[in-house]
Amino acid sequence: MKTNKRNAWILSVAGSVTIVVAFSGRLHGQTTDVKPSDASSGPAKEWSVQVERIDPGQLDLTPSFQVAIYENLLQELNKTKRFKQVLREGDGKAGELPNLLILKTTVVKYTRGSETQRAVTTVSGATKLTVRSQLVTRKGRIVLERTVNGNVRFFGSNLRATHNLARNIAKVIEQSELRGSEPANAVLTGQLCDRRDVQAFVGCRR
Amino acid sequence: MYRLFVLRNDSGGIGRAQALISLGALLLCSGIGALAQSTALPLNGKTPFSIRAHHLLGLPNTKNDCKGTLSIQDNLLRFQQSGKPVAQVDIASVRHVFVGNESMQVGGLPMKIGKAAAPYGGGRVVSLFAHKKYDTLTVEYVDSDGALHGAIFQVTKGQGELVRNELLARGASSSPGEGRSTNQNTPGGTHEDK
Repeated sequence: MKTNKRNAWILSVAGSVTIVVAFSGRLHGQTTDVKPSDASSGPAKEWSVQVERIDPGQLDLTPSFQVAIYENLLQELNKTKRFKQVLREGDGKAGELPNLLILKTTVVKYTRGSETQRAVTTVSGATKLTVRSQLVTRKGRIVLERTVNGNVRFFGSNLRATHNLARNIAKVIEQSELRGSEPANAVLTGQLCDRRDVQAFVGCRR
Repeated sequence: MYRLFVLRNDSGGIGRAQALISLGALLLCSGIGALAQSTALPLNGKTPFSIRAHHLLGLPNTKNDCKGTLSIQDNLLRFQQSGKPVAQVDIASVRHVFVGNESMQVGGLPMKIGKAAAPYGGGRVVSLFAHKKYDTLTVEYVDSDGALHGAIFQVTKGQGELVRNELLARGASSSPGEGRSTNQNTPGGTHEDK
């Protein structure tokens, strides 16, 4: 009797182990099957991004602001580690990369500020920048489109607005899913004003 | 004494002394003029050119927001912090040079703290006067891969134009009409493009 019970117990343990192993193998297979083979819906880590120069649109945005946004964007995007490579406009290496997104930034609104006015009045003289950022594939499909703000209200020089703007754009891109397979009409559009809005946006996504 | 007395009484001597004084004044003025000209006019192509500058951002291997010496030598635009390696850009690779005006509060953090601590809003009154104007020099250039870079420097008012002229004289390209940017210091203007 004792031997039978022991055998039954061993058999049940062996059976359960077999079932667990079999299911885990199946699940593992499933996950590998589910892994997208299409580059357009692959993880963002495989994407590289090329930052285009800032388009001032019809606005009288000074060249130093355009260059500052461009350079700050490159720095902030590198910090996010979201992309395999962050390239500059005109970089010859871009042609060799298979998964390349192009970041287009157009200035929508710009309010000139004054550091002195901010220091004297506290409430006025803010420098404000609003841009429309688009991540586009080589074929022109829009992967991500956002309107992002950057401003300097109290302390700091006017150029600090460009740093804040670039940081906000990088944050938005970092916290967004990049789905190249989505139709262009289904692009999400949001407006981010400051850090709290970015956090709210993340909260919505969670 | 006697000599002076004689000079005073001698009309020819007085005329000579006046002529000497006038000549001296003329030489002094022209010397000052020449000095002023030497700082205002761009130097010729071979002369090294060097000014103090504040690197705001953009140069490779250089910290943002640091002070150093901006120089032009042997067709290279160089920026060096004291005791740090030189960052340099080939002037032939410079695509655009822009000069703009800005205004900033002086004194840095200590001044800010002092102004905040001043009673009865005294800090605000200080802020009204504690600002200075400067030029921003924006240089767009391409590297060996053709990638676009931009560097921004803050220089003393008036020197931005000098550096720009010097760069143009040495082969940098800049589209007409876009070299001098608008004044960035005018507050309150809002532009919208929808």
